[in-house]
Order: sequence, then structure tokens, then C-alpha cells
Amino acid sequence: MIEFHNVSAGYSRNSRVLEGISFHIDKSEFVFLTGPSGSGKSTLLKLIFHELIPQTGEVTVADFSSNKIKRRKIPYLRRKLGIVFQDFALLENRTAAENVAFALEVTNASRSFIRMRVARVFTQLGLAGKEKCFPQELSAGEQQRVAIARALVGEPFILIADEPTGNLDPAISMDILRLMIEINTLGTAVLLATHDYSLLKGKDDFRRLHLSAGRLVYDGSNGNFAPVPED
Amino acid sequence: MLRTSKEAILGFTRAKAMSFFAILATAFSLLVLGLFSLALLNLNALIRYLENKVEIMAYLRDNADPGLVGLALEDLSKLEGVHQVRYMSKQKALENFRADLGPDSDLLQDLETNPVPASFNITMKPGYRDTLHVKRIADEAQALTFVEEVDYGREWLRWIDIFKHVVSVVGATAGALLGLVGIILISSAIKIAVFSRQKEIFVMKIVGATNSFIRRSFLLEGFLKGAIGGLLAAGMIYTVSEIFSYKIRPVVAFSDRYYLYILLAGALMGLVGSWISLGRYLRRI
Repeated sequence: MIEFHNVSAGYSRNSRVLEGISFHIDKSEFVFLTGPSGSGKSTLLKLIFHELIPQTGEVTVADFSSNKIKRRKIPYLRRKLGIVFQDFALLENRTAAENVAFALEVTNASRSFIRMRVARVFTQLGLAGKEKCFPQELSAGEQQRVAIARALVGEPFILIADEPTGNLDPAISMDILRLMIEINTLGTAVLLATHDYSLLKGKDDFRRLHLSAGRLVYDGSNGNFAPVPED
Repeated sequence: MLRTSKEAILGFTRAKAMSFFAILATAFSLLVLGLFSLALLNLNALIRYLENKVEIMAYLRDNADPGLVGLALEDLSKLEGVHQVRYMSKQKALENFRADLGPDSDLLQDLETNPVPASFNITMKPGYRDTLHVKRIADEAQALTFVEEVDYGREWLRWIDIFKHVVSVVGATAGALLGLVGIILISSAIKIAVFSRQKEIFVMKIVGATNSFIRRSFLLEGFLKGAIGGLLAAGMIYTVSEIFSYKIRPVVAFSDRYYLYILLAGALMGLVGSWISLGRYLRRI
């Protein structure tokens, strides 16, 4: 599903943020991506949705390879992914339902199909009744749920979340994590990037990729892993 | 297309202040350019009107040989730039003089001889009504032995020449500057409008919108804003032109087609401005 093969990447020719990364994520897996700030977590996620192309190596997402993909095909790859950000990235001038529907509108889906899917995902994420609310009328937790609803409405094979709880208090953060685990149990893979280690408490069985200074220093789930302290 | 139109119209209403600013910038730029063109059009009409008044009067001696006068009239008519040469006899000239005097024409009754000379009245073709060409024809007429004096309003013509030169130089320079300022103003307004919506472009991209989908809705929006700006400018120019026509006659107004051009110029500026501003953001992610 997602495969990194000896990937190195950076934002300019002379600097590398990631070096020699190799891993793969299978269907329906739940994976934590951890590491201190600046370790390359967001860069790794950008490589998955092809905002960034590797300098060396290859990233394969479903049938798309970073070495072969044409620029105009990237939107079709992104439609197979659900992406969630720390700042929610909701459009303030659209209602919650319009924000979610937006993800399907750009794919030229029919109006009735969009209505049906939006209603379903709102119910699934406990957002029923909030359809007509604008983002600023919702709590931070609800806003993140709407962002997750938008990510899920296209039925992606994987949900990619970049610090999704960064702007939330601990109780709401745990709620969002529980929601993601639920989503995963329904068959969608989840890749959750975080440097909030409290989220990982009691999640020893979950697979975890740990980055340090742009290198993948741990890939496993033995529960004995001690987080690398932030510098 | 329906969804693109919907996005374009929604974008319009959702970013009201930015849309208003872009429309206003377009309308203002086109208004200034339009009014400037209108002023130029009227100045050129004034120049044409003044030039139409340019004529050469060649006064003939009383003893001029009629045969030679007839031949000279024919020769002068054939010179480059000459539109028409009319011969005015002494008798006709006196009648005209009398008519000009009106109630004071009694003054002429005691005259024993006709003091008014016969003349050639030479008019020039358009494009030849400047000092250089008029003087050349006046010199040709003066060279005729039976011509006593030639008058062509030398000073008057010199002022027309200067006026024409000033209008063309100032017109071209100020027109180019105003056009440039207009383009900068409109493109800045569009850039700000696109910049204010970069989050929307980002969201569109991460949910899998193709560049052509994003571009279509922004271009349509830019086109509509530009067209509305153009329409406003055309309406204001029309109003100004009507007010002037009513208060100060005669004024040369734009033809209907010109108003359509203003509208299309606005739409085109909106379209091209959006295309250029959007390119940066589309390439980014």
C-alpha cells in the first residue's frame, strides 16, 4: 500500500531532511509516526501525498510511484488518501457540511452521492446536527472531527494525520485518538504523526516508526521503546 | 462547468471585501483610461475642426489676365495636397463683403470703384493642413505674377501645429503611464484576492482537485470581476460623456462599440491577472 525504499529527501539540493528511509505500511494497519520536532515527520508525510518528491529512492502509494508519476496524476493519488492537519485546514466561510462535501465536489461526484456520503460520515463521526455550523461555531475537537470527516468522505485506504491533536487539550486529544482507532477497525489504515508521547500510553501493541534527525531509528511494536528525548 | 460556475460565484460572495477591491481597482483603472481616451478623442476632434478652418487666400491684381488666371487655377488644383481652388471674382467678393457688413453695408454705396480684389480660395486635403504643406502651396501662389498678396494665417497654423504635437506626445506618454498603472493596480488587486484564498487552494489540492478544476473556478471568478469592473467603468464614462454633452456642446462621444471594448478589456484583465497570480500557488503543492 505504502512503501518507502531507501528514500532521501529535502527542500533544496544541498540539504536533506530525511536520509535512507525504508518501510512499508500494509492495508488496515495503524501506525504511529513519532519523533521530536524537526525530525522529518511532516516531510515524510509530504512524500506520501507527493507534495515533495524524493531526491533518491522511491515512494510507492497504491499504484503510484514517485519515480514514474506525472504531475497531473498527483490529484488522483491524493483522492485515495485522507489527510488531516494540526490546524484542521477548514474553510471558515463554508459550513461543516460544505467543508466535507468540498472533498467530493472536486472529484465531480454527483450531488445526490455527495449528500448521501456527507450524511453518513457525519453520523459516523458523531457530528449529526452540526452540518450547518461554521467552523468558528464549533469547538476545537469538533473542528478536528469535521476535518477527519472531510478526510474520510472519499473513502480513502489510509488516513494520514499530521499532529492532529497538537491544538487540542488532553481529554479531546484522547477522544480524537479513540476515533482514529475506531476508523481503523473499520478497515482504513491510519498513519498518525505526533510528538505528544502521552497519546502512546497503553498503545504498546501498536506499530511505531520513530524518526530522529531525519533517520528512521525504530520500526516496531514491542512496547519497550523509550522515546528519544527532544534536544 | 456548473460546479465551476458555482465555485466562482461562491468565491465572489465569500470574499466580499477582496472581490469588491478587485472590481473597484478594475473599474477605477478603466475609468481613468476611458476618460483620458475620451478627452483625447475630443482634443483630436478640436484639432480637426481647427484644421478645417485652414485656407489660403491669394489676392489677385486688378489687371490680371483672365486667361492666365484660368490656367493658374487649373495648375494650383493639381498640386499635391490641394483639395480645391475656388476663384472669387471682384464682384462676388464685394457682394460677400456687403453681406458681411450687414446693416453697415450702406458705407459702400458711395464707392466709385470696387476696392475688393478677386482671389483664389485654396483649401487643403486632410493631412496636408500643417505649416509645411500650406506654406509650400502659398509660396507657389505667391510666385504667380498676377498675385498681389497671399494670406494663410501663419501664426494660427503654427499654434495648431504646436497644439497637435503637445496632444500627441502627452497623449502617448500619459496613456502609456496610465495603462501601466492600471495593469499594476488590477494585477495587485487580483494577487491579493488570490493570496487571501491560498488556504482554499491548499485545501483544494490536498483533497485531490486537479489544477484545471482550481484554475477554471478562479479564472471564471477573475473574468466576472473584471467584466463587472469594466461595466462600471463603461457606465461612469457614459454618464460623464452625457453630462458633458448636455452642458458643453458639442462633445464627441464614444461609439457603442467602444463601451463593449471597455467591458471586454476589464474581463480580459481579470482573466489574465488571475491566470498569472494563480500559477505561483498551483506550482507550490
